[in-house]
Amino acid sequence: MQEKKHEDPTLPGESVEIPLLAPHLSTPHFPARQIAGYVASLILTGIAFFLVARHALPLSWLLAVVLILAFLQAAIQLGVFMHLREGRGTTWHLPIIGLGLFVGLGIVGFSIWIMLFKSGVS
Amino acid sequence: MNNPIGSLPAEFENTHEGVKILGFWVFLATDVMLFASLFAVYVVYRSRVALGPTPAQIFALGPVLAETLILLTSSFTVSLSLYAARQSRLKSAIGWLVVTLLLGASFVSLEIREFVKDVLAGHTWHQSAFLSGFFTLVGTHGSHVTFGIGWAVLLTLELVLRGLTVANRRKLFTFALYWHFLDIVWIFLFSVVYLAGVMT
Repeated sequence: MQEKKHEDPTLPGESVEIPLLAPHLSTPHFPARQIAGYVASLILTGIAFFLVARHALPLSWLLAVVLILAFLQAAIQLGVFMHLREGRGTTWHLPIIGLGLFVGLGIVGFSIWIMLFKSGVS
Repeated sequence: MNNPIGSLPAEFENTHEGVKILGFWVFLATDVMLFASLFAVYVVYRSRVALGPTPAQIFALGPVLAETLILLTSSFTVSLSLYAARQSRLKSAIGWLVVTLLLGASFVSLEIREFVKDVLAGHTWHQSAFLSGFFTLVGTHGSHVTFGIGWAVLLTLELVLRGLTVANRRKLFTFALYWHFLDIVWIFLFSVVYLAGVMT
């Protein structure tokens, strides 16, 4: 399988201002990444479903493992399918989507956290 | 218009299309926050079942697992559609896009069947805070998927009529982003709502 990498897909004036946000692009001749991502997501879903159906772990461990598997799958979808590092020049969508995730995780995390106090609401 | 293997994909080669893709990522960031709010509401009210059913009493994992496999597969097929488009294989791109929208339609029909079953049993979103949170969260995702099916139909028409123009390549790319995003949201619905719901 031959892959051609694009080192610097920019025009003059579109230079990568932040090295961390440099785009990564590749156009392989066979959709190996897509197939690998699909198989991996099927396996992770299968593991999560099997663990819950069999009650294979104590409750809190089960919840933690299922959540970790979900985040792994989300990372696969983002990295493999959503072409997260693709773009031209600086990939400004990375800090944008990162900020969205930061606020989102904050909303969910702190809502759960505040409900853990056994005051009138929990 | 051609995209020979080894060059920048056409949707990024054109600066204007690249800006529109950036704009779509901004929309996805706002959608992340929308779903985060609904997840927070659901998690907070999950145990508030009033006189209605508990999550474990109302969820059937079989259809939900089928929905999950359908959506995962559709996420894979839309990525194949984009892959074909980048190799300028129009028929293949259209074919995988049609498969994607058919899978999306079967997902939505399974979800509607689940909702109808619950409502006929009297478990509407008026019954408890848990059911309000559940129907709002899962229904918002389902309406996103329904909108995506309409979008895919229009995109298929455009591809058939105009072929792989630069604008169409960008539209296919943003649709693929949208669809994968909905798949991520469903993975969390499957884990946090359904799998965690039947854990006892």
